Amino acid sequence: MLLGYSLSPFGHDPDAWRQARDGRLLGFDALLGQVAAAEAAGFDFVLLSDRLGLRSSDDLSSVAVPFEPTLFASALATRASRIGIIAAASTVQHEPYNLARRFASLDLISKGRAGWLVVTDDSDAGRESEYVDVVTALWDSFEDDAFLYDKTAGRFFDPSKMHVAHHKGPYFSVRGPLNVNRSPQGRPLVAHLLGDSNKALAARTGDLLLLQAETADGLVTAAAHAVKAVEAAGRSRRGIRLLANIVPIIVSGSQGTDDASGFPGYDQAIRIAGTTGEITDQLLELAAAAGLDGFTIFPPTLEMGQRFISEIAPELRQRGMTGPNAGTTLRDRLGLARWVHPSGLGEEILR
Amino acid sequence: MSRPQMKLGAFLMAGGHHIAAWRHPDAHAQAGSDIDHFIQLARIAERGKFDMIFIEDAAAIRERNPDLASQAARSTAFEPLSLLAAIAVNTSHIGLVATASTSYTEPYGLARSFAALDQLSGGRAGWNLVTSASELEAENFASSGLRPHSERYERAEEFADAALALWDSVEEGAYLPPDGKAFADRSKLHPVHRHRKHFAVDGILESQRSPQGRPIMVQAGASDVGKDLAARTADVVFAASQTKAEAQAYYADVKARLAKYGRGHDDLKVMPGISPIIGATEDEAKAKYRALQDLIPDAVGVALLASYLSIQDLSAYPLDGPLPEMPQTNLIQSRQQLIVDLGKREGLSIRELARHFAGARGHWQVVGTPSQVADAMEERFLDSAADGFNVMAPLFPSGLEDFVTLVVPELRRRGLFRKEYEGRTLRENLGVASPNKG
Ligand SMILES: Cc1cc2nc3c(=O)[nH]c(=O)nc-3n(C[C@H](O)[C@H](O)[C@H](O)COP(=O)(O)O)c2cc1C
Repeated sequence: MLLGYSLSPFGHDPDAWRQARDGRLLGFDALLGQVAAAEAAGFDFVLLSDRLGLRSSDDLSSVAVPFEPTLFASALATRASRIGIIAAASTVQHEPYNLARRFASLDLISKGRAGWLVVTDDSDAGRESEYVDVVTALWDSFEDDAFLYDKTAGRFFDPSKMHVAHHKGPYFSVRGPLNVNRSPQGRPLVAHLLGDSNKALAARTGDLLLLQAETADGLVTAAAHAVKAVEAAGRSRRGIRLLANIVPIIVSGSQGTDDASGFPGYDQAIRIAGTTGEITDQLLELAAAAGLDGFTIFPPTLEMGQRFISEIAPELRQRGMTGPNAGTTLRDRLGLARWVHPSGLGEEILR
Repeated sequence: MSRPQMKLGAFLMAGGHHIAAWRHPDAHAQAGSDIDHFIQLARIAERGKFDMIFIEDAAAIRERNPDLASQAARSTAFEPLSLLAAIAVNTSHIGLVATASTSYTEPYGLARSFAALDQLSGGRAGWNLVTSASELEAENFASSGLRPHSERYERAEEFADAALALWDSVEEGAYLPPDGKAFADRSKLHPVHRHRKHFAVDGILESQRSPQGRPIMVQAGASDVGKDLAARTADVVFAASQTKAEAQAYYADVKARLAKYGRGHDDLKVMPGISPIIGATEDEAKAKYRALQDLIPDAVGVALLASYLSIQDLSAYPLDGPLPEMPQTNLIQSRQQLIVDLGKREGLSIRELARHFAGARGHWQVVGTPSQVADAMEERFLDSAADGFNVMAPLFPSGLEDFVTLVVPELRRRGLFRKEYEGRTLRENLGVASPNKG
């Protein structure tokens, strides 16, 4: 079972800051502390969200990462050495060339642990689709073995293995090539938070799909729709990873789940309440029912995040659901193949 | 008596500033994509108590011809803000200056990115504002081509003002106020509403206030509008000059513009580039320089020169003849002039000029012993040609290591350079005014 940890300074409950009124929690060291704990507990990736795309106009969010996520990711990458790092970035806030550079750089800095959570502007599917295609084409500017570093011949790279995109579409005009070395993963992982309006794009371009539903039944339906969309895009279910967002609410045996009622649900995650054993059972049932590869947890408070790490993660390991992961890149960790440059597939996709 | 203090920046670049550095037997050829290499360089500079490290930028490959591009290590690089964010959490005192263009980004996203770098570093961020003068960059963003010089600067002016306003939209202590009623204290948030010709900006910056008031503003424009923008908004200017007279003229020119904007002589630090090639003896230094020069393929050197002259094909002219007459460029006007002047002054052929230029792209090169290098710096520093220098080692890490272990102590002996950092923020160390007071 794959596990992701959605990072927030106080917890994802909009009122969580009231319990942990400490400005230091907004700083890098405290956030790194959370990530280090998740890494030690065997989490596969940390998700750095940007209010999932909504650009604030009037204040800092108490639930989103307090720094611009792609740069925070870069800082984190040098201080947490194993966990995957998926940063949200919006297609309306960055030009495709700039975004492609940031994530290509992040993949090098993290030594192959970078992922892009694509945050789209849902009003124009054509633009969004073209955007992602431009970014992925730029990531294929150099073939895997393009860089020669041949000092004697004075050849830094093999020019025949450089591909200039020369993209000219209705929305973007981008020459290329990307001026960053080839990614350690071939290309950074592409993740989407699945919604109605981005389903086709997500199914066509995503490596990791994050499902959001409020009920177990809703989740089963959402997963089935996602798989159908992936297959309709001509891809195999085995080539993607499907995870559900959950809000874990852990209560001690004597408390009863009534104590969980203080936590609101979020529309991007399903609330799962109970004791350690009960939550673990529910996760296993949900994964089986919906055919999921794992979960991304959105801790409502820091305490719930810590308890998931110290109670549920070990329980999952004990039941053999998670185990040591030898993967060094994020794709390895998720059991996904390294991205193969299109030239290696024998078809000239790039001009 | 305490002497005036020199400011020092370390201009970092993969294997070295020399165009052929990556081919040197000692060079780490993969340095440009190795984060640990850059962290090591930043730490060496921090050990030497440099004010800052500096990263240049271009949002494109730098050479159109694939054959020539493939012979230059500069063809690929880290995106500067990503690189400095990683370095920020692995250093403690050194300033972190990233280049970013006003032509291909938007004020909100860029101001937020520098705010993030500032938070991650505890107040050590700086922005080298450039307007981007290459066609290749323009082609990565639009089909309409490179905008004219004046229009790029018009956009830059508006961009800088928008970024400054966004950084000022959040006061210190705006979040988690002591009364505990709400997450934010609205009286300390000042939403920006600016609708101008190039940008519409609404809202506040999604960040806490910068620990140094706001990031340090750096510029390197040398055109008239460029120098005016610097005099109005910058804390530091970089420059390229060959002779002392050129450097003095630039220094006097920029400083004279400050009064117009109500600023004092010391509010803006002028830091020209210097490329030091250091040897225990003068002969050793010269031998080091020659070893690097021998590695430059003529075609690569000439193409680099041509790109700064904005000439399509310099190789069409006899390599051993002088530069042809050229119209003034829309691109980097100042560097073009510098090259033309250098060629005339020293009677250099295209080939000689290209080889000379390839060492440090037009910046001042000093080849000599540590005390000769310190002498040269001291002279320009004391004679109103510079407030400090942006040090461009030809080869990394050894060139920077040499400077820190050999030249820095020499500067200290002369009382010209700090032994300890004055503060924790870049603004404190540079000693430039904080926007908080004012
Ligand atoms: C030390 C130094 C570093 C510079 N670095 C960059 C850079 O990284 N990217 C860039 O586009 N321009 C760079 N420039 C160019 C200028 O900042 C400026 O945009 C250019 O000179 C055009 O402006 P001007 O016509 O006012 O001179 C640099 C200039 C100097 C002197």
